[in-house]
Amino acid sequence: MGLGDEVQKAFCSMFPSGNCGVHLFWRIMHLILSIWYFFLWLVDMFESFLISSGLLKRYKTLDISKVQYLAIVIDSEEALQTLKVLNLLVWLAAIGLKNVCLYDNEGVLKRSEQAITEILKSEKRFKEITTSNPPLDEKGMSLEFISFSDGKEAVARAANFLFKKHYSSENKEKPNFTESDMAGALREIGYERPDPDLMLVYGPARCHLGFPAWRIRFTEIMHMGTLKSMKFGFLVKAIRSFTMVHQNYGT
Amino acid sequence: MAQVQIREELPEGLKQELMPKHIAVILDGNRRWAKERGLSVQSGHRAGSRVMKALACLSSRWGIEVLSLFAFSTENWRRSKEEVDFLMSLFEEVIQTYEDEFTGSNIRISVIGDKSKLPESLQKMIASAEESTRGNTGLHLLIAINYSGRYDIMQASTSIARKVKDGVVKVEDINETLFEKELETNCVEFPNPDLLIRTSGEQRISNFYLWQLAYTEVFFAKKNLPDLEEEDFIEALTSFQKRERRFGGNKYTINQSII
Repeated sequence: MGLGDEVQKAFCSMFPSGNCGVHLFWRIMHLILSIWYFFLWLVDMFESFLISSGLLKRYKTLDISKVQYLAIVIDSEEALQTLKVLNLLVWLAAIGLKNVCLYDNEGVLKRSEQAITEILKSEKRFKEITTSNPPLDEKGMSLEFISFSDGKEAVARAANFLFKKHYSSENKEKPNFTESDMAGALREIGYERPDPDLMLVYGPARCHLGFPAWRIRFTEIMHMGTLKSMKFGFLVKAIRSFTMVHQNYGT
Repeated sequence: MAQVQIREELPEGLKQELMPKHIAVILDGNRRWAKERGLSVQSGHRAGSRVMKALACLSSRWGIEVLSLFAFSTENWRRSKEEVDFLMSLFEEVIQTYEDEFTGSNIRISVIGDKSKLPESLQKMIASAEESTRGNTGLHLLIAINYSGRYDIMQASTSIARKVKDGVVKVEDINETLFEKELETNCVEFPNPDLLIRTSGEQRISNFYLWQLAYTEVFFAKKNLPDLEEEDFIEALTSFQKRERRFGGNKYTINQSII
């Protein structure tokens, strides 16, 4: 018999009116839990406010040198919220990040690439941020837009390429590919990109939704919740958490 | 579809129809655990090996179909010779124990990874354990030793290339579906984990199951492996059951359907 059953049995013995009393008890328990989670949410919101306002010293100076390449994975349904995506990019630029890869499974972001880059070019705030952060970088933030076809499909195409290149009918040698062969093949077919140091996932599920598998060996993964609930403070907190991480790389 | 034999009632709060078919675990934190206690690294690994067995037993009792344990990656060879030698002998011990105990528990053992680079004695132990448990139809325990996601993708590429050369497969048929059939996880009915648990608080995949984890729910447990208890495993399962998951753009709520 579980704890819940024991409590219910004890309660029933205290309140002979039975169902009515038990029902009331569970309502009270739910209320207490709801208040507790609401309190936790308030604490998170307050912390985000303090971070955004620059009132927390430890978040004032972020060493972002560790974040050479950032991946943003967004659930495809949420990726339709273009304004939210743009807002996120402006925040990332404000933090000083230069190389960002945007991914969603279905290619929603890829289809919006032109619109997003055009809006960012004309967005005054974005221009000010990306051209004023030292050191001066005329290129501003570089954006990569990818989808599922840049992952598994690309590896399959690279394998196809490798076979055709190395093991045509004249070559009698038994096939034996190495990791550098695959890396070279991906480069040849136009899929060579850096491995992200950090991946921020926006969406209901805590998974990377098919982000190119070859590139995420040692990528730190953080789930940020939904795009709707994104806050600048949470973003800064996540990046700071990453800068504190020490990787052994298996050694 | 394999019939799941439920051996034991699930802990309160967990629903049988929402249990993951395949759970993968990145076993991390043995050395940190030992360091915190002023113990040797070997003590940490030995303590971690006890949790490996506990996870296998719980998974078997609760009707999980496949449990993958990431025991040794291709990067781990860079550790000290002393530690690597100890791990190899520990694996022999563990697999021997599993062979002795799991045969009666209907648990099947398979080892994935590049076995050719392992000590011969360990290779023999693995072959024996795999053979003697081959007929078991309960939990399929996959132990990844000298494995990495990139290695798996490369061996799949090589295997496909050989099949093309032998005329078994056409070049134009090389696609991701064919790839999946050539990965080392093709020995199980459910090759893609539903849930990945990583201990020690680190939040990365560390070159494990790169291909297979596209839609896997990831749970990062803060405790080091030797500290992991049944309640932590239940917490990971509870978190998994509450998630709303989407596969390839199709909305999938665990509460509504089962894969």
